[in-house]
Amino acid sequence: MKIFVDRIKCQNHGLCAISAPANFELDTDGELQYHESFDEEHIDDIEDAIDSCPLQAILLNRDAA
Amino acid sequence: MAEQPTTMYLDISDEHFRMDSEEVRKARATHWYARTDWGIAVLSYEDSSFLLKSPRLTQGSAKWPSQHGVFEGHFDRWWQKTLLVLEGIEHNRIRRLVNPAFSPRRIEPLHSRFRALADSLIDEWIDDGQTEFASRFAAPYATRILCMLLGIDEHDWKKIHELASTIGLGLGITIQENIAQIDDAIVELTEYAEFLVRSRRESPQNDILSTLVETRDEDAGKLSDQELINLIILLIFAGIDTTRNQLALSVEAFSRQQDQWEKLAADPDRYSAKAVEEALRVNPIGRWISREAAETFQHKERTIEKGTTLHLFTLTSATDPAEFDNPDRIDLDADRSPHFAFGGGLHHCLGHFVARADIGVALSALATRMTDLRVGADAEWLPDSGNTGANRLPITFTPRS
Repeated sequence: MKIFVDRIKCQNHGLCAISAPANFELDTDGELQYHESFDEEHIDDIEDAIDSCPLQAILLNRDAA
Repeated sequence: MAEQPTTMYLDISDEHFRMDSEEVRKARATHWYARTDWGIAVLSYEDSSFLLKSPRLTQGSAKWPSQHGVFEGHFDRWWQKTLLVLEGIEHNRIRRLVNPAFSPRRIEPLHSRFRALADSLIDEWIDDGQTEFASRFAAPYATRILCMLLGIDEHDWKKIHELASTIGLGLGITIQENIAQIDDAIVELTEYAEFLVRSRRESPQNDILSTLVETRDEDAGKLSDQELINLIILLIFAGIDTTRNQLALSVEAFSRQQDQWEKLAADPDRYSAKAVEEALRVNPIGRWISREAAETFQHKERTIEKGTTLHLFTLTSATDPAEFDNPDRIDLDADRSPHFAFGGGLHHCLGHFVARADIGVALSALATRMTDLRVGADAEWLPDSGNTGANRLPITFTPRS
């Protein structure tokens, strides 16, 4: 599974970064940076990030290797 | 020395000031900000979008009570610990814990209950061809939905509405003269919230409050009982008047565009979400989002000194012709950029998915049952600043057969 963020929807509010800091962060310009791959131990945090995104721009691509 | 840009001055405390005026359009066409008596007003879409999420700006609301003569008491103690005021680690810890309870998948199952409530309220006056929308729909609808979310007995809605209005006086410049009454309301709501938390702990229900109670218990100590109670009071404070007034503002906006109201009525499943976004874009309850510079920084040609207040004008940025075609008109088929009626950054409105869902359901129900919608000339509006809305909104219409 991989994380996918729709960059057209994303508005860089940063709520994902407080839910799942291991995978999401805002850089010094305020732009979202994220890791597509994640450790299974962080899955709850990532699901919280998906729930919390005001634009609902985060997806888990379950078919990705 | 660099040439200083020309900026306009806007008298935002004047009772005749209007967001939707030639004066504000001219100021927006002149420069990205205007000067006001309370800091600068950010007018353009591009700059609002950037500054709203800037980590160099904070809410700056902690000082509100003391700036108006209130230095202690139940309201002040609560206020200093609300998500509206907290910043940094403490804010992010609480916000992170409560966010998932307000997600679309938690709210989706409530849509049918929202719709049944909307229809039951409309049934009370639909045959009359007229009603006073603020008290006969907006207030009971917004309050009873909050009761549903928190598992409060809906028969108590008038009491909850009254307490919410009383605490709402804490945001008025007359806070000091009302403080005894406001403090009493905080005490009463605290007791009510304690009771609700206890009862959910004993027997969990399928509501947001039960989810929040579980959050506390599962993550032992991460969200304290006091934090949970503060949050319940915040939801009552921030979730009722906002929705109530946004419903009135949305109806008023659509009454000026009958063609779009008819489009919504013909296909509410397709258009209800768009209807909410367009109403929030052209007629938002929060006319500005306030921020304060936590440090001195440079934005474009302007040095923004630490402590400067910024008002990010929501209606103005969301009708900026540089970003939107035909910006002042509701267009349910247009593909629009996001507006900032719910603020942004880490302080983005917590309950926005609830508000979006319940306003969408309400507008669908109203549009499918009423045509030829008109707002009476005797409507009573709050000042066009800060949070606005209607105290009275008489409407007339023809019931659809």
